[in-house]
Amino acid sequence: MQPFVLKHAIPAERSSASVPYAYSAVLQLNVLSDGRPAIADHAVLLATGTTTSTAGSKTHFDD
Amino acid sequence: MTVLILTCRQDVTADLVVAELREQGVPLVRFDPADLPDQAGLSVEFDRGDFTGYLSTEGRLVSIHGVRSIWVRRPGRPAAHAANPSEWLTAECGQALYGMLYATTARWMNHPAAAEPARHKPFQLRVAQHSGFAVPSTLVTTYPRAARDFAVQCSDIVVKSASGPPTADPPVTLPTTRIDPDTDFSDVAAGATLLQRYIPKAADIRLICVGSELFAARKTAGSGQVDGRFGCHGHRWEPVDVPARIVRSVHEYMALTGLAYGAFDFAEDADGLWWFLECNQGGQFGFVELETGQPIAAAVASWLAGPGAAHR
Ligand SMILES: Nc1ncnc2c1ncn2[C@@H]1O[C@H](COP(=O)(O)OP(=O)(O)O)[C@@H](O)[C@H]1O
Ligand SMILES: [Mg+2]
Repeated sequence: MQPFVLKHAIPAERSSASVPYAYSAVLQLNVLSDGRPAIADHAVLLATGTTTSTAGSKTHFDD
Repeated sequence: MTVLILTCRQDVTADLVVAELREQGVPLVRFDPADLPDQAGLSVEFDRGDFTGYLSTEGRLVSIHGVRSIWVRRPGRPAAHAANPSEWLTAECGQALYGMLYATTARWMNHPAAAEPARHKPFQLRVAQHSGFAVPSTLVTTYPRAARDFAVQCSDIVVKSASGPPTADPPVTLPTTRIDPDTDFSDVAAGATLLQRYIPKAADIRLICVGSELFAARKTAGSGQVDGRFGCHGHRWEPVDVPARIVRSVHEYMALTGLAYGAFDFAEDADGLWWFLECNQGGQFGFVELETGQPIAAAVASWLAGPGAAHR
């Protein structure tokens, strides 16, 4: 017998491993390959889903 | 005085606040507890009736007496990046780090002692009732019989998980799902199940509370759509005014829980009434800021940079 709620589980999209930015220890934030902060590019952030309410919810349930 | 941000490297929502703090000229240190003890260090000493200590990470050093405020924004588990990680190492490093931070007079967003109970949906629902929100009838149970009776009584219900999806390979997700009252509820005995009256939803509302500032966004629901995160119908988040009685209830909720930050989810019904669904103490605001342009990161930064104990 499996818990009732699990009957309603659906496959999750695998978070695409690569994001077009990397952490800069100097700036203490993520930067794009052209050196601009990742947050300067709203299109990138929305496309990678990194700021949405499902982002990271595998480890952080309080989304 | 320094703002300490406990977060992981990849969190770009933390980036939004880092950029605001820099703009405001406020010193900050971004620290991932997962980096202890190899890539980050700490030391705290108790002697002659006083204590001193510091944290260090990537060439930065912060004295614990110099910490003005602490923002807990999805930190890694202590020592998760260690060469030889273990539950025990996590516990040891967590004791050292959080123990020394609890010992300071810094303001927290949110203090872990407030965050812990605030993560629990049944607790949230009770506090929401006390705060004057409209709360949908809800049942949390391990009894199939109770589930069946509740389904009959409400006639239209949803099921959702209390804690989020399980870790599984391949990964799964658990959207809030509408269920038929004739469903076989016997599996309710195999877990704690959260059932709630279905609210025919005109829109999803996400309301962010930062200290005493409120920001709300509304997204029109697709017809028959239950979980707003799945099956989007091209609707966008738009800024929305907060009704006066909701403002009062939000402030009451924050006071009762001791939270400095909360992300509330409501379902707006056809009459425009906002039904309380949950309050995520660490809930995401990035998408609201990006889609509506509301200055939430700036509000978080200002709160963190603000004066001490007085407006905790
Ligand atoms: N009782 C309900 N009636 C209608 N929709 C609901 C109900 N409860 C949740 N939902 C929808 O499901 C989604 C997630 O619900 P929520 O209560 O915020 O849980 P969580 O985010 O923890 O999964 C939201 O889009 C919400 O509108
Ligand atoms: Mg939610």
